[in-house]
Amino acid sequence: RGPAGRGMAGAAFERRVLRRAAEHHYLRVRLELPDGGARPNAAQFKQLVVTALRELHGEVGAALPVDVLTYEEKTLSAILRVISSGLVKLWSALTLLSFYQNRRCAFRVLQTSPFLLALSGNSRELVLD
Amino acid sequence: HAALSRRYVLCEVVSEDPRCRQCIEDRTLGLAVRDAIARVHGDYGLACCSISFTVKYLNAYTGTVLLRCRKDSYRLLCSALPFVRYLESRAQRYPCFLNTLHVGGTIRTCQKFLIQYNRTQLLRLLQNCTNEEERQCIQKSLLSCSLTEEQSQSGDEEEDDGTE
Repeated sequence: RGPAGRGMAGAAFERRVLRRAAEHHYLRVRLELPDGGARPNAAQFKQLVVTALRELHGEVGAALPVDVLTYEEKTLSAILRVISSGLVKLWSALTLLSFYQNRRCAFRVLQTSPFLLALSGNSRELVLD
Repeated sequence: HAALSRRYVLCEVVSEDPRCRQCIEDRTLGLAVRDAIARVHGDYGLACCSISFTVKYLNAYTGTVLLRCRKDSYRLLCSALPFVRYLESRAQRYPCFLNTLHVGGTIRTCQKFLIQYNRTQLLRLLQNCTNEEERQCIQKSLLSCSLTEEQSQSGDEEEDDGTE
């Protein structure tokens, strides 16, 4: 049984909920290139993200502080960090990006969280024996 | 009926080139503003602001422009106006900039502001006169302005804009 809060001397507890207190949001994304071809390196990947923002949200969107924290060229997956107020702009821009160097592409957002630590585990890919 | 709220943005076109005045028309200005919105705010901003966007009023002599947009997207519009750097007509570009004078919820409030603004501008023009001839000219046109009382309930004062 958890703490009751009543009936036990001095065991009052309070719950605090902080909304939108995090400064940054983190996204784990994967780029899909179904038609194959040369894979972008880290700089080209960042350029692609900024281009997506520029197409949908203009110069203001392209100036959004987005960082590529990690990038794996083999799997084309990355962890992006964006300022919390810009999450909707970034996610919508990634969703609507459809071409990379005239090849079809798609961004899949695998996880998102205001805490970087939360991206270390993914219960969707958990294998239970 | 507040669901279809609009905002009316009053601005003036300022240019060093006197030929710029000729190409102040609703199509060229509308295109220039929408192009600036597309550059600054992208496809999303352009689509947002284009809903019920029009050039409502133009005065080529004073360079006054009245734009209309939705209330939800007037901030996108206003933030893109400083990025209009030239007006293009007949394959010629005339550098200019837009000065935002007033943002109002109705055409009537913008009109009231414009009347007041024009009054102060005329007085300033009079003070900045360099020679007696210009002074006489402006004084004559100021004194020849007439007030016409409207028969309707609103009774707005009408005043002639001084032509340059």
